[in-house]
Amino acid sequence: MASLNETIAALDRLPALPATTIQLISMLAGEGRDTDLHEVEKIVSRDEAVAASVLRRANSAAFGMRGRVAGISDAIRRLGTRELCRIALETQTSGLLANAGRSYGLRRGSLSQSALGGAVAADALARAHTSSHRIDREVAFVATLLRDIGKLAIDAVAGADALEKIAAAADGRPFLAYEREVFGADHAELGAMLCQRWSLPDEIVRAVRGHHEPPSSPSEPLTDIVHAADCVARWAGLGLGCDGLMYPFDIGVRERLGTTRDELEALVADVLAATATQPTPGILNSGNLNSGTLHSGTKPGNALKRTA
Amino acid sequence: MSRIPPPIFKSESTRTAECDKIVVGVADMAVARDAHKSIVTYALGSCIGVTLYDPVAKVAGMLHFMLPESTVSPDKAAINPAMFGDAGLPLLFQKVLDAGARRERLIVCAAGGAEVLADDGHFRIGNRNRTVLRKIFWKLNLLLASDDTGGQHSRTMTLRLIDGQISIRSQGKDSLLWPH
Repeated sequence: MASLNETIAALDRLPALPATTIQLISMLAGEGRDTDLHEVEKIVSRDEAVAASVLRRANSAAFGMRGRVAGISDAIRRLGTRELCRIALETQTSGLLANAGRSYGLRRGSLSQSALGGAVAADALARAHTSSHRIDREVAFVATLLRDIGKLAIDAVAGADALEKIAAAADGRPFLAYEREVFGADHAELGAMLCQRWSLPDEIVRAVRGHHEPPSSPSEPLTDIVHAADCVARWAGLGLGCDGLMYPFDIGVRERLGTTRDELEALVADVLAATATQPTPGILNSGNLNSGTLHSGTKPGNALKRTA
Repeated sequence: MSRIPPPIFKSESTRTAECDKIVVGVADMAVARDAHKSIVTYALGSCIGVTLYDPVAKVAGMLHFMLPESTVSPDKAAINPAMFGDAGLPLLFQKVLDAGARRERLIVCAAGGAEVLADDGHFRIGNRNRTVLRKIFWKLNLLLASDDTGGQHSRTMTLRLIDGQISIRSQGKDSLLWPH
């Protein structure tokens, strides 16, 4: 058991969000919400991991019909500002989250995958709701990407099997309630504190804080979207640790978003496709099976995988 | 479900765990006929993991499906039937038979199908996954030998081909799903 002060003190020991990420987010969520391609170019070129991702994406199937690009400036022109910002943010947060969630029993990379899966869902939800609320898709994407950043702080204070013990003894309350009891604060609140320390825009801080318990009066459209996107990611099997599905889907959010069950399920399928570690799912072939293994194989052009 | 006895030869068990594991991802399936291997799937939340095992032919198949009905996304079902129960289950059954298993010897188990907390009945993805499982098995004339479904927790399911033992790991604890 850790006191609130100990838990908050752990925030100081966490790696900081790269300055370039903060710059990008502030640019995206800034007053005029206008992003300067030249500025983004500078940020991208400075970060090796981001530059590599940008090149990879520019040469991927989605953009690959116009010949290969070799240089970073070509890649930047091909992708455009919006895509560029996303790649930069995805790469940088996934570096930060790669090892996060250990105390929840998550395998390496699970939390980055869940961050991205949720962000893809949030983007789709924001796009679908532009008529009723003015939700900026980029802000929804970023806020959802960062929603579980507070799990880094829980990792820092939780003992090896502390959360598994909590989960095993759970009595039907949301998982946040147990986190608050044991650590003095839950991962949503700790995530919001981190975002505040990094001087991220207030709307993102509020969405991270409320992503499991969205406020109802007044409601916050951005928080509603992050909340729904988080549930979609869980249904896609992303980021499931010992906390499992111990988070409610808020009925008020469901009513405010007005998204049907079929729409959300289709989104679950999209999210999985977008985050698959092995890119495009393939069809299981019938083949001559000797002593190996038939796998449904999710690699393009490799519908049948053998692992002898 | 009963607790799994500790392995007698620990080093052997570790080696098996590390080297001969076939991992089935979300919306994925695998069929194997190698007695030295085990098949495992992680992070079963509302998704369901299904195993079919023929103890004589030593053929096993595992499916990790995510959603009940392919009607919500027919294009994705055409590319990857393993995403949906109604498309993936008949395919798994066929693949297991193609690999040499016999229907009358099949031991069928399932795990997962958890629900988000306080679902008022609107989404119930876990519950509907469980329903589609029963529906397809009824059509295929298959009976569940053992299952561990529902609740709010996530599960890891492992099938060992040498003897068909299926274990479930959830919230830091291991239990045996089959044999009982």
